[in-house]
Amino acid sequence: MKYILVLLLAMPGMLWAEDAAVREDVRAAKETVLELNRDLYELERELLSPATTRASFNLTLNHGEFFEPLSIEVSVDDELKIQHLYTERQVKALRMGAVQPLGDINLAPGKHTVRAVVRGVDHLGQGRELSVAEQVNKTSKPLITELVIVDRDELKSARVQLKYW
Amino acid sequence: MLISGVCYAGETLRPGDIVPDFTMPATNGFGQRLAEARGAPLMLIWLGRCDECSETLVRYQLLAESLEMDGLKGWFVWTPDGDALPPKMRLPVLKYEGKWRQSWQFKGRPAVMLIDPDGQLDHLITGDLDENYPETEKVLMRWLSLGRDGQISE
Repeated sequence: MKYILVLLLAMPGMLWAEDAAVREDVRAAKETVLELNRDLYELERELLSPATTRASFNLTLNHGEFFEPLSIEVSVDDELKIQHLYTERQVKALRMGAVQPLGDINLAPGKHTVRAVVRGVDHLGQGRELSVAEQVNKTSKPLITELVIVDRDELKSARVQLKYW
Repeated sequence: MLISGVCYAGETLRPGDIVPDFTMPATNGFGQRLAEARGAPLMLIWLGRCDECSETLVRYQLLAESLEMDGLKGWFVWTPDGDALPPKMRLPVLKYEGKWRQSWQFKGRPAVMLIDPDGQLDHLITGDLDENYPETEKVLMRWLSLGRDGQISE
């Protein structure tokens, strides 16, 4: 009888210890799943856009007194790759110095012609189109570029340039 | 959610649905993105055939402007057709063009969508805009008054 009583008293402690062990196992399993998920994400990213073929395009607006962008289209080797429409809020952000990631594309190592056309309005509200076309040399490293819209104070207009990071 | 080309969402949109996001260029200023209109009630007017149809839309424009104090936004969506010209309005006139992957088309146009501040379609009034104006005005006023009482979704 005494033994049974001792056993009954000890049982909650045993159950608690077992419960804690199960909780620990669940936590460890969750961590493993998260790690696996992270690895899969990295793998997927590498497969979809490996460093050797990755090309990133960004856009900035320098002052923007003489030009406000309304849309942009970026083509590579005459194939449209990126397009974007601007809202007033986005242009305000660009004016405040925001760097807009336009997008990542896959580009095989070698020479390519990049062409960007930015449509917008000038300081008089007239429609304007800025464009740049350049040959870029893609190496095995990622290509990171920045399209910069720069004011030309002397001409009261703007131009778009392609810069490399 | 990005829907390219001709509308997919618009074919099945019903009151109670969340309206898929879009960005469209405007014929009279900056482009507009639906997601940026969140937080305010929106009257989205999809035009049918329209060649400088400003006269038809004046009443809608005045209605939207008179309710600006209540936070209402009003946008028109115009689809180019041949040599047709867009209406000249003070409110944004968005231009649907299939080439923009961030936009979609509503097949049930002409139509008026009343979208609540959370992006949910509360009312969909389809059919001729001239004929439907009285009903739209009535529904809109009631909708906004319910919204003021904190019960915007019916």
